[in-house]
Amino acid sequence: MKSTGGLSLLLLFVVLIQGCAFSRGTLGDEINSEAIAALHKGETTKDEVIHLLGAPDRLVQLNGRDVFQYYRYDAKAGSLLLIVLNFTRLSIKSDDLFVVLNQNGLVEDVISSKRTAGMKFRFWPFGD
Amino acid sequence: MWTIRNRVALFLLTAMTCLAVVGCNVVRVSLNITLTPEDVAFITPGSTTLTDVVTKLGAPDAIGESETGMVATYRFLDLKYSRVNFGWLAKPWTPVDPDLIFSRTGLGVDAFQVAFDPRGVVVHSSFQRRLAGLPFYPYPF
Repeated sequence: MKSTGGLSLLLLFVVLIQGCAFSRGTLGDEINSEAIAALHKGETTKDEVIHLLGAPDRLVQLNGRDVFQYYRYDAKAGSLLLIVLNFTRLSIKSDDLFVVLNQNGLVEDVISSKRTAGMKFRFWPFGD
Repeated sequence: MWTIRNRVALFLLTAMTCLAVVGCNVVRVSLNITLTPEDVAFITPGSTTLTDVVTKLGAPDAIGESETGMVATYRFLDLKYSRVNFGWLAKPWTPVDPDLIFSRTGLGVDAFQVAFDPRGVVVHSSFQRRLAGLPFYPYPF
């Protein structure tokens, strides 16, 4: 009896996940949090920043200072394809890191955030 | 006990529900988290600093230069697309594959900009467009 119940649950699960689609796309490499922790204001030089994080994705001039921008995008899409009624939800989030370098080539400020952490596949397109 | 009347009513209700959603596609695309005026209400020009803003909102998507100092831009997008193919209604009764499609896309693109002085204190902040989120509404006319 138990094996029949288990088989029924398995069949129900298999039937329920029919018509589901999961897709994922990323742009850029993950920004190494250890490398970010190794950046020290007033101490770390421009060369050390490049050694730790690689060449920046974007270089911005800010009132005579260089700003190195690093970014990474992560996209997760979930689709529920019920033949006559289809739901799709695509969520895209970015991780950004800005390293502000002063005119002496030393790190002046570090601004970073990791929005992609905890991002889930979602199917339901309504609501938030 | 299910009477014949109840069974017919259930069948009609199911059929009507199926017809109402027939050939529907509902798609939503969101880029980052949409900021609302309530989310940025803590910003007070002259006292809020860059550190306060980054702590609450995270790193911006772009940093630019202005005459007064720096401008941080937070971009976000909320796209809603819905489509109904009424041709599905005729499929059981016709040998061809008819399409009568109504679809509509609502593209909610917005950005929040914060300008800072050289000391990193907010000078002013504002949304670029303040677009309200459009509902899923496939009727294009």
